[in-house]
Amino acid sequence: MGMGDPSWSKHVADVLRRNGIRVFATVPDYIVTQVLEHLWADPECRVVTVTREEEGVGLLSGAWLAGQRGALLMQNSGLGNSINALASLNVASQIPIVLVVSHRGDLGEFNPAQVPMGQATGALLDALGIRYIRPGAIAELETQGDGLIKLAYMRSLPVAIVLPAELTGGKQG
Amino acid sequence: MTDRLTRTAATRLLAERLTREVVVANLGQATFDLQHLADRPLNCYTYGSMGQCSSIGLGIALARPDVRVICLDGDGSLLMNLGSLCTIAAEAPRNYALVVWDNEVHQTTGGQPTATGDRASLAAIALGAGIAKSVEVRTEDDLRTAYDRILGEDGPQVVCVKIAPGRSEGQLDRDILGHVRRFRSALATLPVSSRSV
Repeated sequence: MGMGDPSWSKHVADVLRRNGIRVFATVPDYIVTQVLEHLWADPECRVVTVTREEEGVGLLSGAWLAGQRGALLMQNSGLGNSINALASLNVASQIPIVLVVSHRGDLGEFNPAQVPMGQATGALLDALGIRYIRPGAIAELETQGDGLIKLAYMRSLPVAIVLPAELTGGKQG
Repeated sequence: MTDRLTRTAATRLLAERLTREVVVANLGQATFDLQHLADRPLNCYTYGSMGQCSSIGLGIALARPDVRVICLDGDGSLLMNLGSLCTIAAEAPRNYALVVWDNEVHQTTGGQPTATGDRASLAAIALGAGIAKSVEVRTEDDLRTAYDRILGEDGPQVVCVKIAPGRSEGQLDRDILGHVRRFRSALATLPVSSRSV
């Protein structure tokens, strides 16, 4: 893919922070690390690196039960690792969480192993009724991000911000 | 091994000492026993997401450092999320303890053997993950000592309790949403303690 505007990552971090999210869990990849750089540098934010994304789902669900809003930053491969916890914990118990998912395996992908999960990402979120946005540009993120997060906590269910290569510049092979 | 500890007895011994602690219970038998023996608003029951009990408790412990959090996990479930032990070690919350009911079987699904009945030691794995206060207990005396430590000393701590296999009888209350709301509200209204736990 072509070059994204490099300020996209700060816009993502700011959408999360201005909606009261202060605790983050992650299994980092090349793309979400660009968002993490802003969060690691912010003394008001706690970032916990977990070993598997599903662990982050549990941890952030616990944080919400204790009154804190949380976001999980991961690659879409990690969405696959999180599916059962999202279904049987967050959807079943109505525990909100914001997923920030870098979208590998779509336009411009160089690694064939990424493609099946990349093509299934939207369908997996739809299957669990997880409302998501997939902003192709910063303006779209700014228009939709606040509303998405407000919906998550009003409805008390997970939501996802999927980050396509059109926004982030992707990863070059 | 007729004198092996039971989960019911071990749960009761803990329950009678609880005050303002949060207790997070694993799906199946741990939730069942806690609900029947010591139902209270600061209990966080789980009904799904096998493996996540220790992680849910970690999230609560990090968000509320003034409240002691005790997780009641099972051997089969913790084996599914061993990476959690590394995260607990790295975050090192002083207010966190993980108790594992280790009966060496997947009790809720019919008693199929787990790896702890063969060669795996969860206390040793926890130690290897970096949690220095990790012990395995087999007797009531040792269990009482372990409870003294998790209620009185800094965490993180792991107590692997070797118990006899066996299901609890009766009906589980699966009012999931009601229990979530009750727990979240009880924790939100629990006064923040300035005293270090």
